[in-house]
Amino acid sequence: MHADVAAPDEVLLEPVFWSLFSVGGFITAFLLPVMLFLIFFAAPFHLWPGDPAAYATFLAHWKEPLVRLFFFVLIGGSLFHGTHRLKFMLMDAGFKGPAAEALLDLILNGVAIFGSLGALYYALRGWLF
Amino acid sequence: MTVHEYPARRRRGWWLRNPRYLAFQLREAGGVVCALYGLILLNMLIQLRDGESAYAAFLNLLRTPPVLYLNVVLFALVLWHALTWFMLIGKAQPIQFTRQPLPWKVVFGINVLLWIGVSGAVVYLIFGGM
Amino acid sequence: MPDSEVVFRVSRYRPESGGRPTFQEYRIPYRSDMVVLDGLNYIKDHLDPTLTFRWSCRMGICGSCGADVNGRPRLTCGTYIRDMRKGAVTVEPLSNFPILKDLVVDFDDFLDKLASVRPYIVRKDWGDLSKEYIQYPEDVDAYRQQSLCINCMLCYAACPVFGASPEFVGPAASALALRYIRDTRDEGGAERLARLNTKTGIWECTFVGECSVVCPKEVDPAAAIQTLKFLATTRHMRRLLMPGSASR
Repeated sequence: MHADVAAPDEVLLEPVFWSLFSVGGFITAFLLPVMLFLIFFAAPFHLWPGDPAAYATFLAHWKEPLVRLFFFVLIGGSLFHGTHRLKFMLMDAGFKGPAAEALLDLILNGVAIFGSLGALYYALRGWLF
Repeated sequence: MTVHEYPARRRRGWWLRNPRYLAFQLREAGGVVCALYGLILLNMLIQLRDGESAYAAFLNLLRTPPVLYLNVVLFALVLWHALTWFMLIGKAQPIQFTRQPLPWKVVFGINVLLWIGVSGAVVYLIFGGM
Repeated sequence: MPDSEVVFRVSRYRPESGGRPTFQEYRIPYRSDMVVLDGLNYIKDHLDPTLTFRWSCRMGICGSCGADVNGRPRLTCGTYIRDMRKGAVTVEPLSNFPILKDLVVDFDDFLDKLASVRPYIVRKDWGDLSKEYIQYPEDVDAYRQQSLCINCMLCYAACPVFGASPEFVGPAASALALRYIRDTRDEGGAERLARLNTKTGIWECTFVGECSVVCPKEVDPAAAIQTLKFLATTRHMRRLLMPGSASR
């Protein structure tokens, strides 16, 4: 088989980051609204008995592994989802070309990766070490 | 005779010309807001480590009126992101559980019901109920 | 019998003089059964023979009469004037394409993109007349929707991603790639996914979805591209995790 038109090179990382973006889309869509409501709006607008975000309440919940896993998944998912969308918004706004896209990849994927590692660190801290 | 081709260009203000384009832009913005909240939640964990006064200061900052009302706007974008995501799942269906793709509104409805269920589960499992 | 008149605002571009496209207004007799293409043909026949536009079949299958009508890409042969907003009918060349003259756009670039996904059956023994390439009805069902594409390029005109990056392979070419990938007789799937897993391939798509809205044949290129992203990702992961495995 021969190609009629010279095909450009395959990309290596985009399928990986697209997968993380998609998984992050599910995570943020399903988990973020209820989370934001409980932490940011429930108490200030008096829509909830008590304050789910109060220090003592939250610290007590934070001892459970499931809660820590929840935060790690939510933070990682939202970062990988949002940075991917931001990359394409900026490309659409004219931030294009190999150098610009490499810079975007470096910064935005860096934020997602280091942010997720940070969340993992706090999720494990005081529990495993 | 020279013949000039008029170059291709996207119309300026394209996303204001069609409500679906505007809905798309808001959806993308909502996705970016999710990353912002990811960083805010990460910061919340950092403040939690730093102790009660740091944590309380952070929480109070989030609840000062300008920040709170900005949060309401951003929260609306996150909700729009969630709802449009469920629509996109219905419209794309990359993984099909049935022979023929289901109508997208059915998939959207199932997702919304699941969403309500998951949100209830989060209230009880993560935040210990009401 | 004409009931009344309708105003057509038609975009004109003169390649000899260059400059920006301008609008020209024509008043034409209107009947309720007229489509926009009828109006353009009336102008060409009775008012202004210099007006240039493409058309052929008048029945929505040749895909050559696409234009932006009142700001939205449509087949002019399938768009009734009576369904337009009251007042003027504005006809412009398809967005996002270079303009050759008046309503005629240059789509050489689209044809190259189409060729790059090999929109035909790829098979080593294809053409061996001693063989049968059996298709069951359910085999056809798997790709029937994508096979309905008529290459009218309305989806490209509706795609803001293509508008911003002309090198993006775009909706129709992707949908046709999926049509052949899903064909049980075809063996070119890996090659097509390799073509689409590139900087100019499917990854630039942000699922605006307007391509599927304007498609006159309900091909749903937006969904096709998301399916291709999924297929390209699974193929890619398999290659990363099991480098020795088969390419598809």
